[in-house]
Amino acid sequence: MSVFVILYYTLLLGASCLAAYYKKRSAFLLLFSLTLVSFILGIIGGVAALRIVAISAGLLGLSAMVSYAFREFLIMIAPRNMAKELRTAPLTAAFGMFVIFTVAIAGIFAPFIAPFGEAEVISSAFAPADENMLLGADQLGRDMFSRLVFGARNTVALALAGTVLAFTLGALAGLLAATSGGWFDQVIARTSDVIMSIPSLIFALLMLSIFGGELANDTTSFWLLTGFAMVTGLLVVSAVSERSVMGWVIGLAVLAGVSAVFAGAMLILFNPSEIILILVVAVIYSPRVFRLTRAVAGNVVVMDYIEAAKLRGERTWYLIRREILPNSTAPLVAEFGLEFCFVFLLIAGLSFLGLGIQPPTADWGSMVRENATLISFGDITPLIPAAAIALLTVAVNFVVDWMLYRSSGLKV
Amino acid sequence: MGDILGLVAKRLGLGLIILLVISVIIFFMVELLPGDIAQAVLGQGATPENLAALRKEMGLDQPAIIRYLNWLRGAVVFDFGNSIVTGASVADTISERFANTLFLAAYAAVIAVPVSIVLGVLVALARNSIFDRVANVATLTSISSPEFFLGYILILYFSVKWGMFPAIASLSSDMSFGELLNRTFLPALTLVLVVTAHMMRMTRAAIINLLASPYIEMARLKGTPPWKVIVKHALPNAWAPIINVVALNLAYLITGVVLVEVVFVYPGIGQALVDAVSKRDFPVVQACCLIFAATFILLNLAADVGSILTNPRLRHPK
Repeated sequence: MSVFVILYYTLLLGASCLAAYYKKRSAFLLLFSLTLVSFILGIIGGVAALRIVAISAGLLGLSAMVSYAFREFLIMIAPRNMAKELRTAPLTAAFGMFVIFTVAIAGIFAPFIAPFGEAEVISSAFAPADENMLLGADQLGRDMFSRLVFGARNTVALALAGTVLAFTLGALAGLLAATSGGWFDQVIARTSDVIMSIPSLIFALLMLSIFGGELANDTTSFWLLTGFAMVTGLLVVSAVSERSVMGWVIGLAVLAGVSAVFAGAMLILFNPSEIILILVVAVIYSPRVFRLTRAVAGNVVVMDYIEAAKLRGERTWYLIRREILPNSTAPLVAEFGLEFCFVFLLIAGLSFLGLGIQPPTADWGSMVRENATLISFGDITPLIPAAAIALLTVAVNFVVDWMLYRSSGLKV
Repeated sequence: MGDILGLVAKRLGLGLIILLVISVIIFFMVELLPGDIAQAVLGQGATPENLAALRKEMGLDQPAIIRYLNWLRGAVVFDFGNSIVTGASVADTISERFANTLFLAAYAAVIAVPVSIVLGVLVALARNSIFDRVANVATLTSISSPEFFLGYILILYFSVKWGMFPAIASLSSDMSFGELLNRTFLPALTLVLVVTAHMMRMTRAAIINLLASPYIEMARLKGTPPWKVIVKHALPNAWAPIINVVALNLAYLITGVVLVEVVFVYPGIGQALVDAVSKRDFPVVQACCLIFAATFILLNLAADVGSILTNPRLRHPK
């Protein structure tokens, strides 16, 4: 019996007795069951297991404190009505917001935060951590911490771009399908059925096997991007112009210009293989967004105020913009967060397989794979980027969970 | 019974049509390549004569429709032609790996299904308690973690630090069944962790939905003991959602296996697919994708059919 073990049980038992005395039923249940579990754990795993429990409890407490402080901070700086909403956020959601905020800061200011460049070789391979390198070096002798910070920028930016594209296409198609109905609705619904019946990772692998090789060049990705933008834009034009020939002509001309500019801008931001990845993700996930938007908008379209607006002679685009969209924002925002998680995990998985973001670009998924050999020596370095992926996804999920709870009748 | 068979046949037909459309997509996507497969095999330095000879051998001189029909005819009897990298028959390479993958998925399912359903029901019964909240956070974390994260954590502790299970799941044909189970325990456990979280959440939601319905309240009000409410009143109606949950998650198991197989170097079809994609071995990619898609559709169909069979209301669609 070391001092640690005695202290451990005294603390747990004391806390559960206090909880029982002050009639905090749920806290008591949790603490006392933890005590019972620790008895078993202590017998099986010895002091080390108890130490792990203590450390994780400490970490949990620390993150609870951080999230509480962060929520108070947000409430202080937010405007009045938003502060009211924030007050209802559970600690998990506050924790999620804190993590998202941290990753965003790391991503945006990556070149200033990271001590070294993302592809800069500064020491020998797998060098351990020292005062220069916070987390040691990777398989080529690049600083792990700097690559982690740059990874926050590359991986998240890619996932965000993919989600935005998927969301724009899917949501527009869903809104239009809900308002116009008929054959348009049917065609898009059946197409999305087919795409959704192929598992997403498998479909991504299929598309990458075709577009991944020599097709990943500037010209191809430019035309693919323009094509994608044209398809998305056609939906807008068809809603805005409403059967007037002049409207179609002007709309198409504007659209072609906008698409080309968009494709050019994307080419400046990302390299061709990344653009292929973004488009693959957008094609795979837009049907899911379509389904949800179609369902949400379908519930709004049958409302009386939509009927009234139609009788007033409003156009489809007005209906979508001013009547349907404001009434379906909450589920759509939550869906955006959820889609981001899926996209992020898919991209991380593909990069882990060596088929996503290509080296030397720092990226969390491929960093895990590159350093995986260290695991067999009991080194946790390769787990850090994997943990970063998990942490960000959990964080977004926490926030989404809260928003869903707030916006829907999911109060069971 | 007649109309049930009719409904099931209708679903099967629909699944078959979707599978056909998917086979069209899988086949004609490769046609998008600049040049053709022959060009891809021989590379830039190919002479026109070589190209023409290979095209003739692979049947590339025929129109795409005829080639598609030939490919489809082969695929029905599990003959996917030859790999363009090794030249070996694709079916031979894949069939054993597919059996391995099915074994791994079945292993994981046998553990995950009972555990998650029992846990899901328990959590649903204790809803809004502290245990429910802890379970909610834990399952959310498990779902959000990428499979390779969980896999490497398990390797780090179970095989490197504690030395309980092997980290690499290499299989050979002369292993005993117990040895096989031991070797594949860690990959199976990774899958179990991910799938259990999904299944628990879905079971919980289904049960809670049920418990909120008026007839359960009626049963409670008339003084039925709680276990009887669950077993006699809730469970018969809960089978439909639970079967649905199980089938959907099995479908997930089959596809989620890709990353796990790579982490544990497990000789399954997912690993074959990843290798083929990086080597651009199109016949193998096509075959693997078709197999995965077919399994996925089949299990989704099973979910549909299962819910039709257990829910009389679905037998008479309005």
